[in-house]
Amino acid sequence: MVEITMGTALLAVAAGIAIGFTGLGSSLGQSMVATSSVGAVAEKSEMFAQGVLFSALPETQAIYGFLIAILLIVGGFLGAETTITVELGIVAIAAGTAMGLAGLGSSLGQSMVASSSVGAVTENPDMFAQGILFSALPETQAIYGFLIAILLIIFSGILGG
Amino acid sequence: MPDTINPTITAMGFASLESFLMVLFIAIALLAAFVIIVAVKPVYSMFPYAYPNARLRARIGRLITAKQLSEILDSDSLEEVKNYLRGFPEYAKYVDKYSLEKALDMQLAETYDLVARIAPDSIKSIFLILLKKWDIRNIKTLITAKESDLGPEKTAELLIPFGEITDVLEKLVEAESVDDVIMELEETEYYPLLEEALPDYEKTGMILPLEANLDKYFFENLLKTLEDDSDENKELLYSYIGSQVDITNLKIVLRAKMDDLQYEDISSYLVSEGYQIRDWKLKDLMDAENVPGIISLLEGTDYGPYLEEVLSEYNKTGSIAPFEVALAEYITKTAKTLSRKKPLGTGPMIGFLSKKEAEIKNLKVIVRGKREAGFPVSKIKEMLI
Repeated sequence: MVEITMGTALLAVAAGIAIGFTGLGSSLGQSMVATSSVGAVAEKSEMFAQGVLFSALPETQAIYGFLIAILLIVGGFLGAETTITVELGIVAIAAGTAMGLAGLGSSLGQSMVASSSVGAVTENPDMFAQGILFSALPETQAIYGFLIAILLIIFSGILGG
Repeated sequence: MPDTINPTITAMGFASLESFLMVLFIAIALLAAFVIIVAVKPVYSMFPYAYPNARLRARIGRLITAKQLSEILDSDSLEEVKNYLRGFPEYAKYVDKYSLEKALDMQLAETYDLVARIAPDSIKSIFLILLKKWDIRNIKTLITAKESDLGPEKTAELLIPFGEITDVLEKLVEAESVDDVIMELEETEYYPLLEEALPDYEKTGMILPLEANLDKYFFENLLKTLEDDSDENKELLYSYIGSQVDITNLKIVLRAKMDDLQYEDISSYLVSEGYQIRDWKLKDLMDAENVPGIISLLEGTDYGPYLEEVLSEYNKTGSIAPFEVALAEYITKTAKTLSRKKPLGTGPMIGFLSKKEAEIKNLKVIVRGKREAGFPVSKIKEMLI
């Protein structure tokens, strides 16, 4: 059993923020795109594969948040060599917030573009490549958040310190 | 270690580490609440449109293209037109059951019925009112049929079984007279309107007052549902439907001026609260000396430039047909602009309905043209939207 200090408690909060916000954004975003896809499939059954693909896009932000939360937990609770101080706990909160908010915004933005793309592809199947490309654009903000969170975790010494 | 951070926290004015952490958590909670409200709100407003818009955009993709329309136009006979339409699932189920005109109306009614069923709750009431168009059309057909002694079988052929009074249509077909039709409708919302116009009908023997009351009720009800709302999606629908009401009024005004009628003669046929052209403006328009006078009074409205553009054509031919074509063009262009304004709102719905209406109108023009033996294809082409 790991001893819960103020530092590890802060780190736990950070893990919660990372997965909580990205999960919220992903679930709302994915439900919107999936709703569009259901409408598209109701009219054109051949839209099933494209609908699943577009609906899967806002899932990635939750995966990033999940990975950051795992890294924080591994570094804080399973890394025997590192003692999580209050300072490290605050750095962990910064990493969790960076990932959480970037992921939330990115997934919601992506859901709007992907939902429009489902409509566009349903109307004109030639729009598929452009639809995927446009839908992938809001992913970049989640990647920035993810990278900053990773850098904070590694260079602060939470992981591998 | 708390020891190393404590001096910094004290320097920042916090009494202890705990009070600093408390402030930090409150700040994160406030930021989170703000972000969630700001980011999630627009998604929630778009969410109800995701499903209907995808379905309607799929249908936009299945609309008859310009190339296909030109192929239909080149058909040698009505049977060929029928054969062509059998290739479209939307029309195939109707063309073998009904006459071509009725098949087209059935398809349009089915389209409105679908939109009313899948529309988000916030705008559903508008589409439910739009569906009443078929009730009103059916009542008008029944009244006309009874007035001209058409048999029940032939009358039934003319009805479009969509709307709210489909259950009583069979009974209404069997009615003996216009009065009977009105009596059978006693339980419906249309009864007071018909009852109000009944004395006029009995006095003049004309069914126009009955029809005008129904039309006015339909449009005024529709506009009432659309206005006084801060919902941007409703606003978009208001400008689309409101423009159609204005155009209906403008056509009546132009025709009345051609026939030297006065405002009092046509006021009961006009919808009083239009979109850009209100009651007082309609009166002003009817007070104009002639048709060019009406067009100059429309300066400042969106319709003015379209009508001015074809004024020279009217001056040459003396026909108001160019104005009617210009107004139809205005509606098509407006619908196109509006359909792009809210791609995750009512935009695709307006785009689809406008395109569908145009498709049905074009097909009806072709069907009528083909029905007239020897009617030139070039003339039909001129009449297409």
